[in-house]
Amino acid sequence: MQGLIFAIIAVVFAPVAGGLLAGLDRRVTAWMQSRQGPPIMQAIYDAAKLFGKEKLVVNRWQILCAWVYLIAAAMSVGLFFAQADLLIIFFVQAAGAVFLVMGALSARSPYSQIGAQRELIQILTYEPMLILVFVSMYLVVGSFNVSDILAYESPLIAKLPLMFIVLGYALTIKLRKSPFDFSTSHHGHQELVKGVLTEYSGPFLALIEVAHWYETVLILGVTALFWATSWYWMLLLLVCVYFAELLIDNTMARMTWRWMLRYVWGIGLALSFINFIWLYAR
Amino acid sequence: MFKGFIDKSRAKSPWIMHFDCGSCNGCDIETLACLTPLYDVERFGIINVGNPKHADVLLVTGCVNHRNKSVLRNIYEQMPSPKAVIAIGACGLTGGIFRDCYNVVGGVDKVIPVDVYVPGCPARPEAIIDGVVEALNLFQQKQAG
Amino acid sequence: MSNLLLLLIVLPVAAGTACYFLRSGSLRTAIVTVTGAILAVASLGLLQQGAFAFQPGSFLGIGWGSIVTVLDFALLFVVLYFGFKLQNLLIKLFTVAQIALLGFFELFMVEHGAGGPALVADNLSLIMVLVISIVGSLICIFGLPYMKEHEAHLKLKKSRQPQFFLYLVLFLGAMNGLVLANNILWLYFFFEVTTFCSFMLIGHDKTDVAVRNATRALWMNSLGGLAFLVGMVWAYAQTGTLDVSAMLAAGPATGGLLVAVGFLCLAGFVKAAQLPFQSWLLGAMVAPTPVSALLHSSTMVKAGVYIVLRFAPMFRGTFVSDGIALCGAFTFLACAALAIGQSNGKKILAYSTVSNLGLIIACAGLNTPLALSAAILLIIFHAISKSLLFLCVGTIEQAIGSRDIEDMRGLFKTMPRTAAIAIVGILTMLLPPFGVLLCKWMAIEAASGHLFVVVMMALGSALTVLYWARWAGLLMGGHKIGGPSERQPLFTSFPLKLLCLGAMVFGFLAPLIYSELLAPLMSSAAMTVDNGIIATATGGFAIYPLFLLIGVASLFALNRAMRSRDVREVAPYVGGANVTDEGAFNGPMDTVVPYSASNYYLGEFFGEARLTLGANIAAVGLIVLMMGGAL
Repeated sequence: MQGLIFAIIAVVFAPVAGGLLAGLDRRVTAWMQSRQGPPIMQAIYDAAKLFGKEKLVVNRWQILCAWVYLIAAAMSVGLFFAQADLLIIFFVQAAGAVFLVMGALSARSPYSQIGAQRELIQILTYEPMLILVFVSMYLVVGSFNVSDILAYESPLIAKLPLMFIVLGYALTIKLRKSPFDFSTSHHGHQELVKGVLTEYSGPFLALIEVAHWYETVLILGVTALFWATSWYWMLLLLVCVYFAELLIDNTMARMTWRWMLRYVWGIGLALSFINFIWLYAR
Repeated sequence: MFKGFIDKSRAKSPWIMHFDCGSCNGCDIETLACLTPLYDVERFGIINVGNPKHADVLLVTGCVNHRNKSVLRNIYEQMPSPKAVIAIGACGLTGGIFRDCYNVVGGVDKVIPVDVYVPGCPARPEAIIDGVVEALNLFQQKQAG
Repeated sequence: MSNLLLLLIVLPVAAGTACYFLRSGSLRTAIVTVTGAILAVASLGLLQQGAFAFQPGSFLGIGWGSIVTVLDFALLFVVLYFGFKLQNLLIKLFTVAQIALLGFFELFMVEHGAGGPALVADNLSLIMVLVISIVGSLICIFGLPYMKEHEAHLKLKKSRQPQFFLYLVLFLGAMNGLVLANNILWLYFFFEVTTFCSFMLIGHDKTDVAVRNATRALWMNSLGGLAFLVGMVWAYAQTGTLDVSAMLAAGPATGGLLVAVGFLCLAGFVKAAQLPFQSWLLGAMVAPTPVSALLHSSTMVKAGVYIVLRFAPMFRGTFVSDGIALCGAFTFLACAALAIGQSNGKKILAYSTVSNLGLIIACAGLNTPLALSAAILLIIFHAISKSLLFLCVGTIEQAIGSRDIEDMRGLFKTMPRTAAIAIVGILTMLLPPFGVLLCKWMAIEAASGHLFVVVMMALGSALTVLYWARWAGLLMGGHKIGGPSERQPLFTSFPLKLLCLGAMVFGFLAPLIYSELLAPLMSSAAMTVDNGIIATATGGFAIYPLFLLIGVASLFALNRAMRSRDVREVAPYVGGANVTDEGAFNGPMDTVVPYSASNYYLGEFFGEARLTLGANIAAVGLIVLMMGGAL
């Protein structure tokens, strides 16, 4: 019952938190570029405006896909805060991501097609990394349930420092930050226009935007599990991680998917193996 | 309340699409200058998007010719309403010095309805920003009316 | 009891023979349909009766055991005949070896009295019978209009359908026999019958490539048969019994017996087309679609995994078990990677089948109650979803004349029904809360202690998402949900709809299936089921609530998609140069450039030419590792 209440609260407030975070993200980015930047509420204004626009689609599959993406993202956040099984949370989230891609593929548009293909490769790249992170948590705690992981007495980051780096890669891809921002980009007007998002517009783009906020909250939630023993350290960890993401975003050039696949799988698998062997050795 | 917030947001988040309709690039450079840290229009929530489907405001520079008038119309068609069009520079307004050329249709308003005219050769960034703000006022008047 | 068994095993034989001799099309339709219905009902009846052991009496005064022996030799000589006819050294070699070994075994070693009951069913067998009889029958019924169309396309002078349906229906009987057999000699006999049927069906079209691929299937499966025979003889030498359940009851095998079990599992690997034996199943794609559907979903390959699962208690806790888990997981990963490089729809399905079978075998190798439950559930869910997808591809292929997924772009516009069913079929293969994903979840939870297995599963499941998602995505498109419908013959649409429904709701039934059928099989509880919420020792899957939530959510989303008013449909963005709403644009010199697109197939990473050799070598290495573990 308590889990259900937590889940409902999370589903209601996660978009607000995610939206504010997205605004903050733009503000800090502007600061790094010596600009003033938009107000903190900007991302929420953007989404609200989009909700008020005309419903423009290429075909109606897009409506279905955008809604399913949002619902799946919201459900995964709800499940996370209900402290359910990490793998289930992950699979529900992945279902949403798949629908986003399918909606983009349903439009006969070169930009959204290529964007969708690249998005698929991004999914391919980060999915195994996330599963390995969850497995490593299991190896330490002995359970996939978030509740058990939260109840574990020492911070996970001490035992899984390398897996934390692996999660960092997944986080960067999932947040669509440079150097992995080639399926779409936060700052449009690039070679793919807006990639996978090109053909979504108006309210449906807003749905996707909100879903993305949910995903941000979810993945930061997973990050928080690494130091769940004290609120203070958890918050500090999150702030540091997000700032690092922004720094990476603003200092890296965007790379190709070939490089991403080779690099992230190579580094990710190597780090995972080393960390797993540490765990076995103890 | 929600509707009020949406109306407020419209003014807070005008995403612009910039279409070069055959300009000499003078006005384009001035338009893009608005995005630089010096003017930083992102302060007002303005983003330069590359796609009419995401845009609220269409900035058109240069005079329309017979070859690209259908493109201009298509782009306008693909913008979800409410939307506004701003013609920039002497050429965008009337065809400018090219208005008598055999291939030139004339100003932007010969093809699609224009809401705001920003004169100049080239138009200054301040004027362009002012034009966008003017277009936002029009949004709100349309809402009210 | 005996009547039900007669119906399940002998009726298909009789019906197949009838199909062969009564050449009338309408009679054939009636026979196949009625047989399918009877099989389905009989399998449910058998389930109703629960586990049993049964020793059939005699037939015309001759014991069934002797009949099986005689038929066994007859079959081997028929295979040998084909070996000479096709001039294939390998077939000749493997078959002669089998005849010699079997002859030696029958003459000098075996005492038939030690057989125990010939047919025994536990819940695993009953589930297999259900899958074979229901899914298999639906495929046979789908085959009726399909083959008519197929032959019309080939413009044959004399219909070859009688022969086709003989083997198709016979196959079901052989499979039922295989999963019910308890006497290992019977098991071997039915194993060989399925090999032979699949050979005849793959080569049915008699084109050069069909004959070549059928030959390959025959020699590989003869190798499998030989491995089975060696395992069988060895096991008999060690235990002195032909009774499978007695062997299982003796507990984990050690020493020489373990080697015997290793050979039996190797036979299962060949049958289940595990790496490096995948090529026969890929070659089987040349056969008409109902054959592929049958081979891939309910029969043949499932016989392979069944054998591994059946003997799982004998290698529990040994190094062989770990070896099997590694082999299975490696096949899961490698075939998922290979599937990415394919644009041929049937080939994608084939690799996906091998990949899923790998997952089942990996679960059998993990050998915990949770993993074994996952394996058995996956057999069910995979059979339903995969047969559905094959039938969809077959229907699409007959309509558009291609099985390349690139040609299926926007198929929803022209074939809304089939495309929608195919999309649902694909989604049931990869999304929660459907059954296949449930099994994948269980598999990963069960494997989480095995470093290499879990890493391969993680990579493999990500690769799986890639090739399914892009296929489902490109089937969408077209412009109207609820546009003009397409016409399908009754016998095409009925199996499609029923399987589609099954694929969607069976995940919902998973907790029930587990607690009713699987829990009694397991030595300890794999998980607890409470109001549809599955809880394992390491996690939980709230199936009913999730199903409810996702169901409501998808209905809502579907409603939004179909009912939303004031939606304006515009052409895709192509720099404003669009001329139609189909994505064509105005190109140079005012010419209209039509829209075209292609998927990324990532050939430089996942191409068949690039991966196959390495994967096969690695797989051989793993099999050697597994067999070596037995020594």
